[in-house]
Amino acid sequence: MKPALDRGSLALGAYVYTVLAFVIIPLVIIIPMSFGQNDHLEFPPSGFTLKWYAEYFTSRGWRNATWLSIQVAFLTAICATLIGTAATYAMVRGRGQLASLFQILLIGPIIVPHIALAVGLYLFFQTIGLSGTVPGFVLAHTVLALPFVVFTTAAALGKVDANFEAAAMSCGATRWTAFRLITLPLILPSVVSSAFFAFIISFDEPVVSFFLSGVRQKTLPRRMFEDIEQNLTPVIPAIATLLIVLSVAILLGAYAMRSRARS
Amino acid sequence: MTTATRSRFWHSDGRRLSGLATLLLLLPFFAIIAFVFIYPLAQLLFISFFEPKPTLDNYARVVANPVYTRVLLRTLWTAMLVTGLSVILGFPVAYYMSRVRGALAALVGVCVILPLWSSVLVRTAAWSFLFQREGLINSALMAVGVTSEPIKLLYTQGAVVIAMTHVLLPFMILPIYGTLRSIPNDYMRAAAVLGATRLRTFTEVILPLSMSGVASGSLLVFLTALGFFITPALLGSPQELMVATLVSQQIREVLDWPFASALVGVLTLFVTLLALIFSKTLRFDRLMGAQT
Amino acid sequence: MNVNYPSDKVQAAGAAVRIRRLEKRFQSVIAVDGVDIDVSAGEFLALLGPSGSGKTTILMSVAGFEFPTSGSISVGTEDLTYVPANKRNLGMVFQNYTLFPHMSVLDNVAFPLKMRGVPKAERYARAEEALATVRLAGYGSRHPNQLSGGQQQRVALARAIVYRPRVLLMDEPLSALDKNLREEMQLEIKRLHAELGITVIFVTHDQSEALTMADRVAVLKDGRIQQIGPSRELYERPANLFTAGFIGEMNFINVTAEGSGGNISVLLPSGERWQLPASAAVEPLTGCQKAVLAVRPERLQLGDAHNGFTFRVKVDDVVYAGSASLLIGTLPDSTEIRARLPGASDLSALALGSTAVFTIPKEAILLYPGAAQ
Repeated sequence: MKPALDRGSLALGAYVYTVLAFVIIPLVIIIPMSFGQNDHLEFPPSGFTLKWYAEYFTSRGWRNATWLSIQVAFLTAICATLIGTAATYAMVRGRGQLASLFQILLIGPIIVPHIALAVGLYLFFQTIGLSGTVPGFVLAHTVLALPFVVFTTAAALGKVDANFEAAAMSCGATRWTAFRLITLPLILPSVVSSAFFAFIISFDEPVVSFFLSGVRQKTLPRRMFEDIEQNLTPVIPAIATLLIVLSVAILLGAYAMRSRARS
Repeated sequence: MTTATRSRFWHSDGRRLSGLATLLLLLPFFAIIAFVFIYPLAQLLFISFFEPKPTLDNYARVVANPVYTRVLLRTLWTAMLVTGLSVILGFPVAYYMSRVRGALAALVGVCVILPLWSSVLVRTAAWSFLFQREGLINSALMAVGVTSEPIKLLYTQGAVVIAMTHVLLPFMILPIYGTLRSIPNDYMRAAAVLGATRLRTFTEVILPLSMSGVASGSLLVFLTALGFFITPALLGSPQELMVATLVSQQIREVLDWPFASALVGVLTLFVTLLALIFSKTLRFDRLMGAQT
Repeated sequence: MNVNYPSDKVQAAGAAVRIRRLEKRFQSVIAVDGVDIDVSAGEFLALLGPSGSGKTTILMSVAGFEFPTSGSISVGTEDLTYVPANKRNLGMVFQNYTLFPHMSVLDNVAFPLKMRGVPKAERYARAEEALATVRLAGYGSRHPNQLSGGQQQRVALARAIVYRPRVLLMDEPLSALDKNLREEMQLEIKRLHAELGITVIFVTHDQSEALTMADRVAVLKDGRIQQIGPSRELYERPANLFTAGFIGEMNFINVTAEGSGGNISVLLPSGERWQLPASAAVEPLTGCQKAVLAVRPERLQLGDAHNGFTFRVKVDDVVYAGSASLLIGTLPDSTEIRARLPGASDLSALALGSTAVFTIPKEAILLYPGAAQ
């Protein structure tokens, strides 16, 4: 006999969906507000307009910030994926104390508060002229994205039997060929998905960007910060809506990759 | 050929990479970590102790001046509050997530993971709007008749705590979900066969087994909350600074680098120390693993 | 055609493998401790031993996946000791098939040819041929996960022989298969060995597999060779106590042995004294010493057969198993004795707790210095 839903289950369900509402409503509510006609934010929004989107796309400041962030995020995704995959491969297939040192250092960027790294880099990059430059942002964001790349890639690499490469080598392949033809195709979906994650980590990164941004070179998060701090205009909900759409797209992309990896 | 010329450093013996290859593959990682992570932090530490001359004054100010000790205590208290709230809100969600299947599981999963990968600024902006004088919360409170005029919500510590909990909640839910999911269903069946009620099964089997997830989630939330910057900077009151916002103020407004460095030093050392002490508890692989 | 793989002329000839004073240490652990093995061209050698005996390390050293701490390995006239695995031109089959999951069966089999720069058309033709050799013609377009375990291992076999290596290495290739498939594959591998004339080194922990498949078996323990010889010799005259206990079933009775030269007398726990032929002593005995008398359970005969020594056993259990019955009993000093009796034997007299009389034929007795535990 299947027991009916008891009170405990109902109470648990009610509690969980209340919490989930708390989690999701602030994100959802911002979307309709981006279409409101009034200059100040209100809910429910009155009228319907796309002028805030138009303002975002035509404003020179927003465009520059967005373009800078896209450049930085794209390069970060490439750097973090290359460096992270190489290091992960060395950790999983390599030998010695280097690999354990690697694991300790890897935790660093997650543990150390971003404000500490941001302030440190602010000072350091100022003195060597990297502050507010694309390479400066890319270096900083690569450090922040590396742990996520490594965790994603290591999980995939751990599932690839080390004997695959041994078998390829016994067939006459060099290690590089074995990696290129056997291991890489097998972990590629995870590598690509970690590149997606690195992209969004960089694109949304607010704290280091906040300190490294110059007067002219501002990333999108830094411009958003200023706008929220000074005058919360409906451009922010418009951008937020676009960012949420971007997050959804990237997550879907990453998960599509992972489910391919599993099949 | 002698053994000496065939050391593992220079030659791969087949399945494992040689030490040299390991080093070369790790070199870019070590280089960027040394250059962009360790060096800048070490420089801050150096400044905090040696600028303008060797001194402990900067640290003395952090610990002795009541204005700053209050900031430290407020930061600690806020982080604890956020951690506690996250456990209370997050555990049932994680438990529910580990029990449901199919479309419901997907729905709950999306609700938990989407915020994690959407901008902190977007979420803070949303709360900033909700907490406004004419914001949704005040309108709702007035409509229900709880209050006749708008309450000050924005720029209060309460707003900071709520928004931070909102931002950090996934970091609590995912590790707990990870441990709960790894409990085999047979344990529950075994407990039931042995005569435990569902409540007893929960308290005697599931709860103890999930504790490592709770611990790693709590640590993750607590450590992150201690150094949180964006949310307190946008939603908090300038009169009620947290460590991160105080650091920002010292650098951008007061330009007191040695003191700011000492603050960063205290924060970083404290966080690192906790992480080292509880290194067994922190399981980042679980955080990433739970998302798949 | 100008391609750089061994030409068809040398196809039939396997190569001799010489392993000299091979030693492999992992930190303080000695995995292989001074091993010498000569495998002649075209021979099928099995490396048999419990886990940790060093058999896999030896195979991996031959394959090039471990470099020995000292010693040398040569194939034919070539010293391969420190040659990288991918330049050894040996065929290798792993325990878990290791077929590349993202490639078709045909691409898997053609992979070694691709690595050797064989043109596409020829490499597929030869891969098809190799698949036919393992009786999987027509399976080329499938993916490995669409095959059964046995089929996957055949594909792995085809991949290992497709470029006609002179030596085929196999690391417990059948341990992942269930019993029926395993027996089928044993025959398949033997057939291939006969057909190709290839030298085979085969690692296994399954003694019956080693005894049925190999021309010679090397028994290993703690990184040393205990005995190396044809199956029959290993079973019928184990060189030492370890091999005697490791290969097949064996009864051990602790005795005191005396004498040397043409006559040995042993004192049994029961107080009886038997005179044994000198050939019973596998290892030389000196004077009066503790020794172990060993005899296979199937050599014991029920009743007094008048061709050896008789002794009494208290019957503890009789297990009927079709072709034979197993009797488990004890000597007066509680040494356990097992006897395998032909299926048709009359067991009616063997009530539990009763005493049975057995005969040990003189030539079935082996004597080793030392003591069984």
